[in-house]
Amino acid sequence: MIRNNNYKVGLVLIIAVFAGCTRLDEKLNSSLTNQQTSAALGALGTALLLKAAYSDFTGPFNDVEQLINLTGNSSDESLVPTRGGDWDDNGKWRSVHAHTWNPNLAACLLTFNSLNKMNFDATNVLAFNPSDVQAAEARFLRAWSLYYLLDLFGQYPFRNPGDNLLNAPEVKSGAAAVDFIISELNAILPNLPPAVANMNYRANPDAARMLLMRCYLNKGAFINRAAPTFSDADMQQVITLGNAIMTSNRYSYTANYFDNFSVDNDVKCKEGIFAYQNTSGVAANNLDVKARWYSTLHYNQYTPKNPNAGWNGFSTVAEFYNTFGVTAATTMTLNDSLLDKRIGGRYYPGVTNVSGLRPGLLVGQQYNEAGVALTDRKTPSHPLAFDPAISPNMTETNAAKEEITGIRVVKYPPDYSNYDGAAGNDLVIFRYPDVVLMVAEAMMRKAAPDNAGALTLVNALRTARGAAPLASMTLVSATNYAPNTLLAERGRELYWEWVRRTDLIRFGVFLRPWPYKTADDPKNLLFPVPAQALAANPNLKQNPGY
Amino acid sequence: MLMLAKKLLKRVPLTLSFILLSLSLLAQDRTVTGKITDSKSGNPIEGASVIPKGTSKGTSTNASGDFSISVPGNVNTLVVTSVGFGRQEVSIGSDNTANVLLDAIGQDLNAVVVVGYGTARKKDLTGAVATLQAKDFNQGVVTSPDQLLQNKVAGLEITNNSGQPGVATTIKIRGNNSIRAVNNPLYVIDGVPLDGRSARPSVNLGANGLGFGTTPDANPLTYINPYDIAQIDVLKDASSAAIYGSRGANGVIVITTKKGTSGPMKLDFNASFGFNAGYMKRYETLDAGEFKQAISKYGLNTALIGKQDVDAMKEITQHNLGQLYNLAFSGGNEVGRFRASFLGSRTQGFIKESSLDKYIGTFGGQYKFLDKKLTIDFNLIAGHITENIPNVSNTAGSQGNLVSAALSWNPTVGFKDNNGLFVFPTNGSGNPLALLEGINDVAKVNSVLGNISASYKILDNLEYKFLYAINNSTGERNTNLYGWLQGYAGLSGIGYGIKSFAELNSQTFTHTLNYNAKLSPRLSLNALAGFEYWKSNFGNSSFAAGGFNTNLTQQTRIDIPYTNLLQNGNTQFPPSTFQDPETELQSYFGRAIFNYNDKYLLTGTIRADGSSRFGKNNRYGYFPSAAFKWNISNEDFMKGGSVFSNLGFRASWGITGNQEFPSGASQEQFGFSAYNTASQQNVANPDLKWEQTKSFNLGLDFGFSQGRIYGSLDYYDKNTTDILFQSTAIQPAPASIYFINIPGHLSNKGVEFQIGANLVNKANFSWDVNFNISHNKNKLTDFFGLGSKNPIVILTGQINGQGVSGTLAQIITNNQPVNEFYLKPFNGFDASGIQQIGADPEFAGDPNPHTLYGIGTTLGVKKFTLTINTGGAGGFMIYNNTATNITNISSIVGGRNIDKAAFNSSEKPASSVGASQRFLEKGNYFKLRNATLTYKIGDAGKYVKGLSVFITGNNLFVITRFSGFDPEVNIDKSSNNYPSRSIEYIPYPTPRTVAFGFNLSL
Repeated sequence: MIRNNNYKVGLVLIIAVFAGCTRLDEKLNSSLTNQQTSAALGALGTALLLKAAYSDFTGPFNDVEQLINLTGNSSDESLVPTRGGDWDDNGKWRSVHAHTWNPNLAACLLTFNSLNKMNFDATNVLAFNPSDVQAAEARFLRAWSLYYLLDLFGQYPFRNPGDNLLNAPEVKSGAAAVDFIISELNAILPNLPPAVANMNYRANPDAARMLLMRCYLNKGAFINRAAPTFSDADMQQVITLGNAIMTSNRYSYTANYFDNFSVDNDVKCKEGIFAYQNTSGVAANNLDVKARWYSTLHYNQYTPKNPNAGWNGFSTVAEFYNTFGVTAATTMTLNDSLLDKRIGGRYYPGVTNVSGLRPGLLVGQQYNEAGVALTDRKTPSHPLAFDPAISPNMTETNAAKEEITGIRVVKYPPDYSNYDGAAGNDLVIFRYPDVVLMVAEAMMRKAAPDNAGALTLVNALRTARGAAPLASMTLVSATNYAPNTLLAERGRELYWEWVRRTDLIRFGVFLRPWPYKTADDPKNLLFPVPAQALAANPNLKQNPGY
Repeated sequence: MLMLAKKLLKRVPLTLSFILLSLSLLAQDRTVTGKITDSKSGNPIEGASVIPKGTSKGTSTNASGDFSISVPGNVNTLVVTSVGFGRQEVSIGSDNTANVLLDAIGQDLNAVVVVGYGTARKKDLTGAVATLQAKDFNQGVVTSPDQLLQNKVAGLEITNNSGQPGVATTIKIRGNNSIRAVNNPLYVIDGVPLDGRSARPSVNLGANGLGFGTTPDANPLTYINPYDIAQIDVLKDASSAAIYGSRGANGVIVITTKKGTSGPMKLDFNASFGFNAGYMKRYETLDAGEFKQAISKYGLNTALIGKQDVDAMKEITQHNLGQLYNLAFSGGNEVGRFRASFLGSRTQGFIKESSLDKYIGTFGGQYKFLDKKLTIDFNLIAGHITENIPNVSNTAGSQGNLVSAALSWNPTVGFKDNNGLFVFPTNGSGNPLALLEGINDVAKVNSVLGNISASYKILDNLEYKFLYAINNSTGERNTNLYGWLQGYAGLSGIGYGIKSFAELNSQTFTHTLNYNAKLSPRLSLNALAGFEYWKSNFGNSSFAAGGFNTNLTQQTRIDIPYTNLLQNGNTQFPPSTFQDPETELQSYFGRAIFNYNDKYLLTGTIRADGSSRFGKNNRYGYFPSAAFKWNISNEDFMKGGSVFSNLGFRASWGITGNQEFPSGASQEQFGFSAYNTASQQNVANPDLKWEQTKSFNLGLDFGFSQGRIYGSLDYYDKNTTDILFQSTAIQPAPASIYFINIPGHLSNKGVEFQIGANLVNKANFSWDVNFNISHNKNKLTDFFGLGSKNPIVILTGQINGQGVSGTLAQIITNNQPVNEFYLKPFNGFDASGIQQIGADPEFAGDPNPHTLYGIGTTLGVKKFTLTINTGGAGGFMIYNNTATNITNISSIVGGRNIDKAAFNSSEKPASSVGASQRFLEKGNYFKLRNATLTYKIGDAGKYVKGLSVFITGNNLFVITRFSGFDPEVNIDKSSNNYPSRSIEYIPYPTPRTVAFGFNLSL
């Protein structure tokens, strides 16, 4: 009997032990392991990984808090005034324009992380047996993210493909950092897929050349931001690379400046060296480009459908507006033959007839599609007339002005067929005129300056934009906004295109006072390395002064 | 000499009784037998004393409650007493049998406590376990089982996140045990550990260009019928919870459902009808008169003043009658018994168009075979929940929350124009009544929890048990936001529909062997060995579209929701489908309890948990515990003459774990996102493991005067380390964070005191009171990054609303309690009435209550019983985000309503908006949670037994200085999955509810 019971006990124990034979290997279900990625997807997988690296445009280049904010609002071309209770956000927008940020500025962390995501995703492509072309594309995207990291933070972390992510990677800074980007771009030039005319959505030799031009042009500034120097060799490189693009005849100036940014810019833009493609009404892979106009438009600027279509935020200042050769007090009856088209204010088909909006810099009274003057949301309402005067501390408390303070900037004519949904405007990252302006600048900066050659290039661009040619032009003047300078021309052509802060530093004028920014500190030539990033990687060094 | 005298004296009564006995023998003794049972539970009472009245010779009952006593012929009354029960005199006349029911008073030390894979007697407990039986539960309108326990258990903090029926609650046992969002205890129902998630799909209406934010989470326990619960045990210390290993660190709540009992068929029925009687506490905004005054006070445009006088906060609420019907029947005999129950209820939300409907059926039974050696137990719960979810989201910005719309509605303006169409003001307030009609969000969740077990008695003292359980929930949710609502970006003139699904499936296999042995006449052993395998799987999917052709204007509304025609949407958002990595847990565990003479008890447990979530290098975790109890009152020197009827000292130590990090976190993962892309999404950490809590508990159990006064005092010290932390990924990286364990310490130390008393226990008058209070101190120490001496700083606690986006109000950092408020100081108003906010944030107060208390009383007078349960919390702060952003003074410029505090201050409308300590308020409160008056009619007619009628009220009043709706609030304002605490933001208001109903049995 006892024996029998022992047998039963044993049986039970055996059952129990057998039941416990799970290896506990976690099944991921929706995502793949590294092995599955290369095994199951093969070469296609590498293409998917590369596409993901391209999709990383979304964060840094489209999110209003990232590069648009750090390169635009920190400069003299853009700011976000606090309007009553709106856009206070704990002062984070004002601090960027006033240069009073600190290492906890959320925008720094956001941008640092999103650029490094791009850095990572591009690097990762290299670990999955890419073709030469794929590898070149990935290395271009990586170089591009490193360029902005270097520009903003003075250093960048770098990993080789397959590195253990738990280890802190090396950090490159100063000349070594620029030289690495340059060597990468030179190395991939032969393997990049050829550029096509008008609009490029893939990395291509012209995009690589243009990024190289930026590297050579800014090299002296990247090495010493307080006192940039420009070597003749670097300037010659800029000119040579620029000429290669200019003589290719793949690009020309788009007749209507705003066609570069419109919903049909995929066919109308003639200047698109590098862009991100969006398709109207298709939400998949759309980077939500509508933030380009939402961030600035007033709530009431598309009343027929949606009274809250705008966020009423980003603005520019009268002084910038005036560099176009007008004063902000002018009425909006612009004479086409005399004025720079880049200031906007003209009828734009598909936009003005739908909402009354005239793309460009929006100042004064705004109208709807029927020509009726718009009002703001206040009671009593005020004419929706954008007022260039912003209160000195960027905080508008005058109830009558709260919603209308600040000149607005609509560079991308809204896609009204999908105003709230997936807009079809391609986000244009590298534009041909920047190539021309960089060549002009290098001509003026080389050991034997060619000011006349530079003026010819600039005047050709101005003519294409409907602006009167300049009689003479200097690199920079006593104020940033003096109109007859190359700096001002870059502002007029490339405003709100992620370059202004870099320009101001290179031109040595970033620490100057300008509207709503007074005294400054040399530490602000670099953004602080985000506190969190610093804690994670001891190889990163906090920038001096923070 | 003295000793001798004492001994002699002691013998005197014996001598006397001998004489009396001799006398009684002369008058023809008879033998009376009988059984003493608990009148409530029907359990036999062991050790009850039975004495023929007027004699001194008694006996006590055996383990089955049986006694046999010789009774003198001239005695016809027995006196029955037992610790924890009322004294009873039973007239036996000339009968030879006497079955006596004793009413429990105070604490029943023989009550069975469920301790995890087994049971123990209350008096044998070595750990800190609180037990509540059905009679102790909170009463009134209860929508989920956790509410039954509120304020009932010292150290157990249950916060209703808001007043919405069916919404998740925040439950903390002995403080914050983790800095991670998942801090809730493990629920175990009839031996089945639950996953803790709900299959109600969660919807983020802040995505795709909408500004509506996320809606609160659903309570995962709504499908458990509160009337089916027999008992809830709260395992508080590590020695009790360590048997649950890597899931025990937050404590364990063990729910035992009612079972059939042997005896005649029994049917219980109860019905109740309830309504919302109004706000428990109103949020004070301006009425029409005050609004007019404000316009003139601030010199604003008189065009802002309309011709009406409306109360939007009243307009959005309803008093509709909710209903509840519950039927249970059971029966059985020695070898088989069953119980079945059905619940149908509709809880009307206080806010219009919101409700929670429940249909729950259960069927369970126990059958014995093979000469009762084999026992089959089964229990099946099937529940269907339909929830009409109101548009009261956690994170809406300036718009998109119904309560926000109502609070900021201009009280002088009507909701509709002369044509009967909704008015849409341009000041951003939104029209609350239009939102009620224009947003429709219905979730349905079906849940099944079934378990079956077979126990086989291999030997008399050795039992094997196998349990299999499956818990499956599926949810579907249809969310429609109609395009005729005006003033909403991404919605107006467009429309938006989203259809979402979720499924949760978990399974448990448990094998246990239980061995009982008497090692010596005085030393007994109870040993348990077991193996458990548990797996769980969660998946969700959603399909959304915008840009519809219907319901775009108020005049042309049709009664077909967008979710019935998603394909019609002009913008088809990419579908989102996701299946969580499966979590598997494989565990071996054992427990040994030594009992020496009921005086010294020693418990040791160990559990080895292997989890698929853990990194490869840390697949198994080991969780030991040990506990000791000294039943002082069982010592000889305490016998007789002592004031204590019960006195015990407990000490325990143990280690428990927390594995609540996302599954898949230890692995390298490549995921697919938008079309044609795939990317690495996670940094692999093969060292990732559980968070570990070491805890130490000292306890004292006591009882006075026959157990009429009883209670316990506990001190605990818990130390959590290997803290699960979302470390900043070392860039360049695929994600901004990855999970690591950091060697910091999270400490919770506290004291708990619980006392109950049966003050009066007379036939027509009884009075019980109970009181509990606990104090907890929570602090993070050594909270540094790996290899660093810089304190980690985690900011969380999102402040939402226009003008404060990106503001975080709380900090998780070294030497502070978790979620310490971290806010800029408020420096009053300047001469022009502009609020002055300091430049730098500072530590500003603890959002975690330091003190929790509960007071309950039951008063019985003749056939009336009045039960009152109250409770409160103290020593914490609440951030009033509603006041910061919704009813702030600058809103009045646009004609939005503002709060009275702003109106009565010297602030002017030009004042800017900003988060600061100005809106940090003391949270201390005392709440009358429930009062119930019951009248026992008794038997009615031939069949109806135990008929009683009752009226009950919940949340009848609150005493607090907090200016928001309810100081018991925890809107989810987490940031990056780090939880927030005690922030109010336009919550679903808490109503006073009143219900009446009846109970009867057949």
